[in-house]
Amino acid sequence: MANENIIETKGLNFSFKKGIATLKNVNMSVPTGSIYGFLGPNGAGKTTTLKLLLGLLRNQQGQIELFGKNFTHHRIETLKKIGSLIEQPSLYQHLTAKENLEIYRRIYGCDKKRIEEVLQLVDLHKTGNKKAKQFSLGMKQRLSIAIALLHKPQLLILDEPTNGLDPNGIVETRELLKKLNRENGTTIVVSSHLLAEVEKMTTHVGIIHQGKILFQGILSELQLLKKSQTLLEIETNDPVKTVDILKARFDVKQNANLVVLPFQDNSMNASINKMLVEQGIEVYSLHNRHSDLEQLFMDITANNI
Amino acid sequence: MNFINSTRAELLKTKRSASFWLSVLGALFIPAIFFMMYYFKPEVFIPMLKGDPWHFHFLRGWQSLSAFLLPMFIILVCSLIPQIEYKNNTWKQVFASPQSFGSIFFSKFLTIHLMILFCFTLFTLFMILSALTVNLVDNKFPFFDNTIDLGSLLKMVFKTYVSILGISAIQFWLGMRFRNFITPIGIGLGLLITTLIIMQWKHIDKDPYAFPILTLDAIMVKPDKLLINHELNSIGYFLVFTVIGFLDMKFRKEKG
Repeated sequence: MANENIIETKGLNFSFKKGIATLKNVNMSVPTGSIYGFLGPNGAGKTTTLKLLLGLLRNQQGQIELFGKNFTHHRIETLKKIGSLIEQPSLYQHLTAKENLEIYRRIYGCDKKRIEEVLQLVDLHKTGNKKAKQFSLGMKQRLSIAIALLHKPQLLILDEPTNGLDPNGIVETRELLKKLNRENGTTIVVSSHLLAEVEKMTTHVGIIHQGKILFQGILSELQLLKKSQTLLEIETNDPVKTVDILKARFDVKQNANLVVLPFQDNSMNASINKMLVEQGIEVYSLHNRHSDLEQLFMDITANNI
Repeated sequence: MNFINSTRAELLKTKRSASFWLSVLGALFIPAIFFMMYYFKPEVFIPMLKGDPWHFHFLRGWQSLSAFLLPMFIILVCSLIPQIEYKNNTWKQVFASPQSFGSIFFSKFLTIHLMILFCFTLFTLFMILSALTVNLVDNKFPFFDNTIDLGSLLKMVFKTYVSILGISAIQFWLGMRFRNFITPIGIGLGLLITTLIIMQWKHIDKDPYAFPILTLDAIMVKPDKLLINHELNSIGYFLVFTVIGFLDMKFRKEKG
């Protein structure tokens, strides 16, 4: 089992309204034991995918396998091994932290002492008779994480778990997830719209944009891909000669009146410019063209989304 | 067993909830009014209570309840209990937990019926208490000198319970269906008021919202038969709408 994927989807398509596809052919593979960062801007289809995995949306097309089994046919057996937190906290506001946990303890049939354990884990053991509605957003989020952890699941599916947490809370949650992964071997799928956050804790990354998975693999592959996706476009008075000059050192292509080559860094742009000018070429423009993925990177690395 | 665990979880959700307080206050309302009527107008009521005072007391009590308050209570409680999940955004957590759709649906429905029976029990106890208290204050009342006919009391409670089964299934389906709880309550209230207007209609025994009133009427006229036509209709409505409600939930595209 150790080398298999704990989550495997094939050709997942979903639309809320006829004709408007929310997910397009999503093939998601989450290796057992990994921390999988599911990355994408808001509205990309992250929550829809995660809801499909948990059976909260009816699967329209494609296959979902969790723990190597078809989800639809093994729903209850599968859900027993999963802890989840989807979108904003879902708590019974009129009940205390302990009572909220007791509800799920009864459903999962776990030991009473687990309640105290998870409350300690998320630092909510001193909330006593305080009702969930009196909690801050951060406390609510932590209680939701406690509910997800209550039955010691093998797989955690967390949708934006650090939303609403203060910087300290974000760090603590990150450390907690890493610890669960390290010590208990819990596989964790964590969605986010911020690359910086995902980079700090995940081993694997999946990037979804407009319902399509654009990248899936280990984190270092992503960094390589990011570089190779940006192109340098050069406009000169003589594209043919420009290609001749550059082809010895670079992988250049002529595209109409533009000369295109992979971007490396700014100093290389400067030296190419110098080289061309010295050979008598008139350089009209040097321009970095971002690929879709690069544009996406700008979206997910920006802090203000 | 999963269903029992689900029901135990459901019962905990009603702690301190609006549905719980509605059951307590709903059960208290009429006995409190009876106490005040007896207390302030003993000269009117003591003569009326001659003969079988407990029978008169319970009959008048259930009569006051069944016409409007009881169907209204059913409409409210059937919306308020599913509303706990809607209001708190917890449906998704419920559906992502390892419970069968049957357990989710029927544990909630059972909780509603336990709440209804809880209200019935409280109502009966408060009715007894109101009679005993007024007798304690004014010893001219005849309650101490007479015994309660438990058999006929239980029969009245049982028949009234059967009469609300149909409404409960319809309203539970609506309560589970609509996120906005004004919708099921509005529909229920509309149907109840329409029923009160058309009570003389010859097919009124097919209108589930009329069943509690018809049962009370029947108890006064011919108290011998256990279940009569409209009560059997109530069971029929109950079965049909329970199945509709369950299938509707099970096959919904988006859960939570």
